[in-house]
Amino acid sequence: MTPEATAHLSELLAQVTGFIYPNEIEIHWSILIVVYPYITGLVAGAFILASLENVFNVEEVRPTYRLALLTAFSFMMVAPLPLLLHLGHPERFYEILLAPNLTSAMAMFGFVYGWYLVGVLLLEVWFEYRRDLILLSRRAPVPMRWFYRAASLFSTDISAAALAFDQKAIRIITIVGIPSAFLLHGYVGFIFGSVKANPWWSSVLIPIVFLMSAIVSGIALVIFLYMILAALRKEQVDMKCLDTITSYLFYAVIVDFTLEALDFTHRLYESEESVRILGSLIRQKLFLSLIVLQILLGMLVPLGLLIVAKWQKLSEDGRKLLYFTAVILIQVGIFSTRWNIVIGGQLFSKSFRGLMEYKMAIMGLEGFLTALLLLVLPFVVLAVLIKLLPTKPLMDEAHTPA
Amino acid sequence: MKIPEQVKRLLVVNAVLVGTALAIRFYVIPKDLVSTEVHRSTTVERELAKPVKFAGSETCVVCHEDEGTTKGKSFHRSLSCEGCHGPASGHAADPGAIKPPAPRDRKFCPVCHAYDASRPTGFPQINPTAHNPLKACIECHNPHDPSPPETPRACSACHAQIERTKAVSSHALLDCTTCHVTPELHKTSPRTALPSKPQSREFCATCHGNDSKQKDPPKVDITTHGTPYLCWQCHYPHLPEGR
Repeated sequence: MTPEATAHLSELLAQVTGFIYPNEIEIHWSILIVVYPYITGLVAGAFILASLENVFNVEEVRPTYRLALLTAFSFMMVAPLPLLLHLGHPERFYEILLAPNLTSAMAMFGFVYGWYLVGVLLLEVWFEYRRDLILLSRRAPVPMRWFYRAASLFSTDISAAALAFDQKAIRIITIVGIPSAFLLHGYVGFIFGSVKANPWWSSVLIPIVFLMSAIVSGIALVIFLYMILAALRKEQVDMKCLDTITSYLFYAVIVDFTLEALDFTHRLYESEESVRILGSLIRQKLFLSLIVLQILLGMLVPLGLLIVAKWQKLSEDGRKLLYFTAVILIQVGIFSTRWNIVIGGQLFSKSFRGLMEYKMAIMGLEGFLTALLLLVLPFVVLAVLIKLLPTKPLMDEAHTPA
Repeated sequence: MKIPEQVKRLLVVNAVLVGTALAIRFYVIPKDLVSTEVHRSTTVERELAKPVKFAGSETCVVCHEDEGTTKGKSFHRSLSCEGCHGPASGHAADPGAIKPPAPRDRKFCPVCHAYDASRPTGFPQINPTAHNPLKACIECHNPHDPSPPETPRACSACHAQIERTKAVSSHALLDCTTCHVTPELHKTSPRTALPSKPQSREFCATCHGNDSKQKDPPKVDITTHGTPYLCWQCHYPHLPEGR
């Protein structure tokens, strides 16, 4: 062993608590792997919200449709970055797609991701914005005109028949997209749930819990963005839309909470040999992030706020305040969920005899600042997209041939 | 049926994307990386193309017959010559110009013979710091026939762990041979001639029996205590205080 490795090991050994296997000294899946399912969850949730209007004809949520679509698209563009950075050599990512290992679940996910990004989100965004892109390519000043023309793929047909075809295409894409969204996030849960050696992960409920928390976080994010955007543009929030979406959010939180409680109760009732170490894990290492942040602040308090907002006949401003607080708390709670699953699952020894420490670095590839950058990046992408693509359909008076 | 204009454009874009992917797949990605059975399918060819460094023991004994014969009968018989002397294909090709090194200091032999608790009992293990300091291994041992010339510290040369345990026990002052009868052959062929263990309760009673003339050792009534077992079946003689 080299002196550097010995020094590194000595430093790590000082952090060891209790009895562990020698290869359990380091937490391999770091904050980046926490960020990864968090962002993919937001994608799946935002897309499912967008699909409400298209497939289930929920007209009330129409004002947030484009925002939800752009949110899903911009977060999807950033979603694989944490994973690729964590794995190293992100410049080689395309090789697993072009020379695939058909028996690897992780490699196959590349195709799910590629399909979802290009075959569903990009295509739906394109069909949704095609008319507006054509209008903008006629209206915008010169450098941007070229951009819009290229983005519309030099399409010019905005006849009623063509627009009807666009709508039909969007509907079909969304119908295909819903199972894709479920697959996308169900897959992330599938990977965790199929780690047989880890009792904190190995549960058939994990993919469903991931999926439901994804829906919760995605809906909450779109509500948050919608309210922020309205405030920035000094526009009125459509309260009917907001009330409807928060109702969906409320039901989604209840289902998510029930599933998580069911999973937890099941583990307790089953009482496998791992139950003691998991108890210690929750009491000693995850008390703040699981009990306080995830369950209390991230679930019960927002549920309470939504109940008060719905049934206390509050004024519009009062409801908005409660909704806004609730969606922020929900984001904190869902991020904690990801943290508790990813980091929590690595904090106990596979011998079930002791617990480890995870100390997050500030700098470096696996550090806090990288994670923060990756969390901010989709918002930057979204801001650019919103700048380029209107979140409301353009008015018809511009509907004149060039 | 007429294909809508926008679909035609999308088909063109898709064709470009698929074409680009195919171009990367067949022109950019190395062919041997496409197989997922091994990391690179040309790994074996790549390894085979590397220059041969080792000659093999059979080549060595063609010239060094005496050393080969001696080694063939010794404890080191299963070791390859090049395990100690290093790759020797150059030497085999041009014996006069290239001489393989022979380890002549104290660093090489402890790679196998330094004390390590995970090594099997009976495997010759020494403490490199305490074992004849400053003397090169080769001064006392012939590496081609490494039978111990003599064992100055007798049993502890190989049984270091037991020696250290016994050294802090109340049996510290007893020689190993007080309890174990060890055939001379055990020193050169440890597994074929094993030392004996006390086979009667009376042996321990020499010191621990009520009628023993020794004053200090704790006394028991050997006729009733722990019958019918032999003493070492319950008490670990090398650390009798241990529980």
